[in-house]
Parts: sequence; structure tokens; C-alpha cells
Amino acid sequence: MSKRGGNKDKRCGSTHVEVIRRQFHGALVSEEWQSEEQVTMTIRADSVPDVVQFLYYRRGGWLSVVVGNDERPINGNFALYYVLSMEEVDRCICVIRSEISPEAGAFPSVAARVPACVWGEREVRDMFGLTPIGLPDERRLVLPDDWPEGLYPLRKDSMDYRHRPELAADLENYEFLNRAEPGTTTVIPMGPLHITSDEPGHFRLFVEGEHIVDADYRMFYVHRGMEKVAETRMTYDSVPFLADRICGICGCAHSVAYAESVENSQGIAVPERAQVIRSILLEVERLHSHLLNLGLVCHFCGFDTGFMHFFRVREKAMDLAEMLTGARKTYGLNLIGGVRRDILADQSMKTIAMLAELRRETEQLVEALLSTANFESRTAGIGILDPAVARDYSPVGPTVRGSGFARDTRFDHPFDGYKRTDKVARVHDGCDVKSRTLVRVEEFFDSLDMIQSWLENTPSGPILNESWEYKPHRFAVGFTEAPRGEDLHWSMTGDNQKCYRWRAKASTYSNWPVLRSMLRGNTIADAAVIVGSIDPCYSCTDRVTVVDIGKKSQVVITKQELEDYCRDRSRSPLSGRG
Amino acid sequence: MLKTLKGILKTGDATVRYPFAPIEQAPDVRGKPEHDAPNCIACAACAVACPPNAIQMKVDVHAGTVTWTINYGRCIFCGRCEEVCPVDAIRLGSEFELAVMSKADLQDSCTYRLQRCSDCGEYFASRKEVEYVAAVLDRIGGNGASGDSIDRCLLCKQKNDALACKDRIRERRQA
Repeated sequence: MSKRGGNKDKRCGSTHVEVIRRQFHGALVSEEWQSEEQVTMTIRADSVPDVVQFLYYRRGGWLSVVVGNDERPINGNFALYYVLSMEEVDRCICVIRSEISPEAGAFPSVAARVPACVWGEREVRDMFGLTPIGLPDERRLVLPDDWPEGLYPLRKDSMDYRHRPELAADLENYEFLNRAEPGTTTVIPMGPLHITSDEPGHFRLFVEGEHIVDADYRMFYVHRGMEKVAETRMTYDSVPFLADRICGICGCAHSVAYAESVENSQGIAVPERAQVIRSILLEVERLHSHLLNLGLVCHFCGFDTGFMHFFRVREKAMDLAEMLTGARKTYGLNLIGGVRRDILADQSMKTIAMLAELRRETEQLVEALLSTANFESRTAGIGILDPAVARDYSPVGPTVRGSGFARDTRFDHPFDGYKRTDKVARVHDGCDVKSRTLVRVEEFFDSLDMIQSWLENTPSGPILNESWEYKPHRFAVGFTEAPRGEDLHWSMTGDNQKCYRWRAKASTYSNWPVLRSMLRGNTIADAAVIVGSIDPCYSCTDRVTVVDIGKKSQVVITKQELEDYCRDRSRSPLSGRG
Repeated sequence: MLKTLKGILKTGDATVRYPFAPIEQAPDVRGKPEHDAPNCIACAACAVACPPNAIQMKVDVHAGTVTWTINYGRCIFCGRCEEVCPVDAIRLGSEFELAVMSKADLQDSCTYRLQRCSDCGEYFASRKEVEYVAAVLDRIGGNGASGDSIDRCLLCKQKNDALACKDRIRERRQA
């Protein structure tokens, strides 16, 4: 494998490579640096669980994503990439790569050692048909129940992206996990839509009276097949416009992450002015996203006046986005190599004036929210995310920062404008909904400061670098800190200027697995607050069905009833029914 | 509580009169792409650049035409078309109210004539594009500007070049 120039010993990640070489004899096949901060080590498949476990628990690694790739047309094998963010000694992105021969079609599962890999390995199984041996949870993750066996969408030879296979089953046969004794709990399905974000997901709360004993959930009802579309229909430089559409709120975070993955793999130097403009847009996104979440917290606490006012103030952040990007959403601004729209002097001045307005109004609203009597009682001690669970599952964003871990991609692996700031990650250690909310409040004001300082000291120069040469079959990671946490994209360029493989990991993907533990031990009234506190990229359960196992009866509770109960905690929708 | 009430009084109305009055928009907002049909040379640069394939080109060899179409329902208002257009024939305007009663009304199109190759007679490019290239070459001046090869298709140009090359080699051998 080829190696980039530069002094090998000084590059980030070289100490990790050395330790792996020393401790695991013969496991390391080769290593390759994609950029100064990214190293990919190819490891013999049978040593991968040991190596990932070692890097994760002994060297301060956190798992970002597991990427599967069908590399049969390139080297005859499938490949797996475990992307680890090393956040203690020698900070860098460490990718553990292994090759799996198509004849074997199986690999030793890491998830039994590092629980954070569960979703990633389940997804690889669904999408590539590779069997993780020893995987603790063998249910499907992404594919629906009625998807035919043996059709693996992301294999290069499996299907056209327009293909809609015949349904293989009529029944929903997904098994929800419940650790309580059978028959001792009542089942409350929440879904098909969640209570505050109007997006589909299916939750099952297993309750004993009002107390949640266990919970399980299922997502991916609206899997859009974007990765397949990007690989087959689009060119590498039109994918940023698709990446924008992953999220209705942090679109820019996704397109920056994708663009930077390609820029890293191709060795493109992004002009400094473009880097700062990207960071400004990312923080503008954080402004309106955090205001939205704070508004929802008001709503959950029964402080609906505050909800309305947060949304009124949020509108100013949207106006800011409209002025800077030409659209209410920060969409369509990124190209490979830079950005498409400059920030002019008068826009910069107007922005600074608007920042002051946002600061003044939000300060008053936050004061009002924190002094609301309900706030403390509805959020303190609710939805505890145990730091030990957080360490095992690698959640991101305010969710993990509310549990005492200072994980923030902006400061762990400074990129773009974040190289020019002295801010640090905001942390609270209450582990509850309140801590996560306070983290968001503080980050909001940090964002204001950062935008202002970047606008006052924007480097001059070009905003787009177009003088570079396209090289196929190069891969790298790109990342940003979206309002909800780390967005990480892994991409590999292909022939004919196509994207060979694109894996987009949204921040909430990392946060779902810990939700189960956050829901346990709380009451039904807290469920919506807790789910809302990870600020999922979706949130409004239209209705909730209550199943009482003992009486074999079902009751449908409306969204309004559940919301009212969430606010007032009187008149339980369960009492006197079912 | 008192502060919140004061805040409410101070804020006044947060709502605007839209849609009964025009809404305030930022300058350079990205709205509906406006196509300048007379200026367009049907070169298809916008169709190649358009990420969601909202702009497409359809060639009809029987009629000898190429049709430029845009589907506003697919458009994501990114403005790549505006960026790549060599003749400024498409620009994003500020119109954003694009809802229609019938889906077909989301389509807009314009048909252009194709140019036949002067050698083989096949259609090879839009006539306006060929005229545009000829005009550009004329402006630059110099060798071969809008010469006899401008109305040949790529294949015939290659054949012609190959034949010219062959002739030159023969001449050199004879000399």
C-alpha cells in the first residue's frame, strides 16, 4: 500500500500502530495514512476483536462506525472498517480494516467484546450478507421483515437501485427484547411516529404499573437507500447535495463531512477562507437546532409560552441562514474543495448584529426556563445515562457530554475553523435530561462567540480549490460535530468519477443504542422527555398502543393524551382503561 | 413569570401578514430557476451538473430536435445550473411559491434544432451550440477558426484528421 510523504514517526496514530505491532504478533498486515490525522491498519480478520477491544478500552478509543465494503471488483474480498476515534493519548482517527473472503462469508464479531459495534455489525449482516460469528443480537437492523432472504442490497452484483423486490412475508416478526420475567410486564408500543419529531420509529415500553422495566425499539422504517443511490446514479461531486438531504436540520454538517472525506482521500487542500465559512455555517445550524430542542424542553415541562418564544427567536437564526446561504436551510453550499458562496462584508456586519440580538433574547428565555418550577422536577434525575453504559456504547454529542465525558469532535480532532478557537467541550455530570439541556444552553452561547470571532477574523483568499487530480479507489473519513453529535462519513472514490462506497453515519445512529438503558427505571410520563433529550432526528408518537398481557386487551392512547400526561403527570391514560 | 409576561408585551406580534402581503426575503435568495430560452444554446451543461436530474435533455433524431426540460418538483434550488451555464441562460430567481394543481404544470421545456454533420449527415449537436462555438472561434481568430471542420461530427472529424495524417506521411515519403 502506498504511503503519503511526511515524517512517519511524527504522524498522529504512529504510537497506536507501534503498540499493535508489538502486542499482537503477526496481526498487523499493513498500515496507511489517509491524512495527517487518519491511519488505516489492515489486520488479520481473526485478530480484529482483540485489536479493536484493546484500542477501545486500553488506548482511549471510541467507536464511530463500522463500514462494510464490497471490494470484490478491486481485490477479490469484502472489507470491514471499524472506525475508532482515539481521544486520550495520540489523538487521531484509527481505522481497523480487515478482509473477508467471499468463500468464508463470515467474520468474528467484535460486538461481544465492544458493545458499541452491535448496530454496525447487524447492518453489515443485512446489507452484505456477511455473518458475524458470535454476534449477541442476531435480529435484522435495517432490512424490513418482508425483505427476501439472500438479497443483500449493497453487494455490487446484487441489484439495481430501482429494484423493488417481491415481499417475502406478510407478518411483522421482529422480536422485541425484554429482560423482565415473561408475563410480569405490560407492553406499551410507542409509534409508528414519535411524539415530538413526527418521524417513524417503533418503541415498546415494558411496564410494571407506571414504571418502565425495559424498553426496546426499532428504526429504519424510512431507510431511503441513499448510499446505494450515491454509488450507482451520482458522481462523487454531486453527492454533497444528496448528503445535505440526510437531515432536515444538520444538512450542512453531513455535506461538510462527506466533502471532507473526499478531500482527505484525494489530498485536497481546502482554502482557509472556505474552512472558516464552513465552520460558520455549521455553528449557525447548531444555533437553530439547539433553540429547537430548548423549545421542546419547555413544551415537555408544560411551559408552552416558552416553547413559542424559543421558536420565535429561532426564526432569527433561520433568517441568518437565509442571508448567508440563500435558503432557510444551510443546503447546497459545499463542493469538493471548498464552498460556493462567500460571506460579504455587509452580510458579516448584519450577522454580528443579529448574533447580539439572539444572545440577548435567548439569555432571557433560558432564565425563564430555568426558573420554571416544573423544569427541575421534570428533568433532574430523569433518564439517567450511566457513564459506564456510555463508555461501552460510544454515544455522541450533548447525550454523552451530559454524562461527564468531554467528547466533542470539534475539539478532539480540530478541523476547519475549530483550529482557530480556544473553546473547549461543555460537560455536565448529572447524567440526566437536565444536564443534557444545560450542555445545549452553554453550547449555544459558545456558538455565538465562535461565529463572531470567525467573522471578525476571516482569512482572505479563494473559497474553492479546483486544481487537483481525481484518483480512484482512495478512501478516507470526514467528520463534523452536528448539533446532536458526531457525523462521520467514510467514502471511497471509484472509476468514472463515481462514488464507489459511501457510508454516512448520522449522530443519532450512535445515540439510539443507549436509549434502552436511559428509559429503564423511569415512568411512562418520562418516556417522551427522555427520548426528546437525545434530540433524535425525529420525535412525535402519533399514538401509543397499550397492551396488557394479563387481560389480552389493547388501548390506543392519542398523542394529545400522552403529551398531557407527560406535562401534568395526573390523569394517567392507563388508569381505568384496558 | 412577571418577566415572561413583560417579554410578551414587549415582543408584540411575531407573525407577519404573509400570504396576504409579500414576505420579506434576503437578497440573493435561491428560488425558482428562470430559463432564458432565446439565449440558451442547448449545450446540456446544466443537465450534466444537476444533482437531482431535474434538468434533462431529450434528443429526437427523427424530428432533428433536442428538448431541454426542467421539473420544478425535482429541483433542489442548488444553483449548479447557473454556475456551469456558459451563456448565463439560466438564473435562480426569488420565486418560491411553486405549488400547482396538476403535476404536469411542474414541467417546463424548450425545443431546439439539431445540426447535421456536413459529411455523414448525422445529427451531432444543437445548431445554436455550433453557431456559438463558431462565433467564439471567430472572435479568437487564428488558424482554423470556424473553418470547414466546425460542422462535422466528432467521428468525421477524427476520420478527416486520420486521412490528413495519412496524406502527410505519404507526401513526406515521396519527398
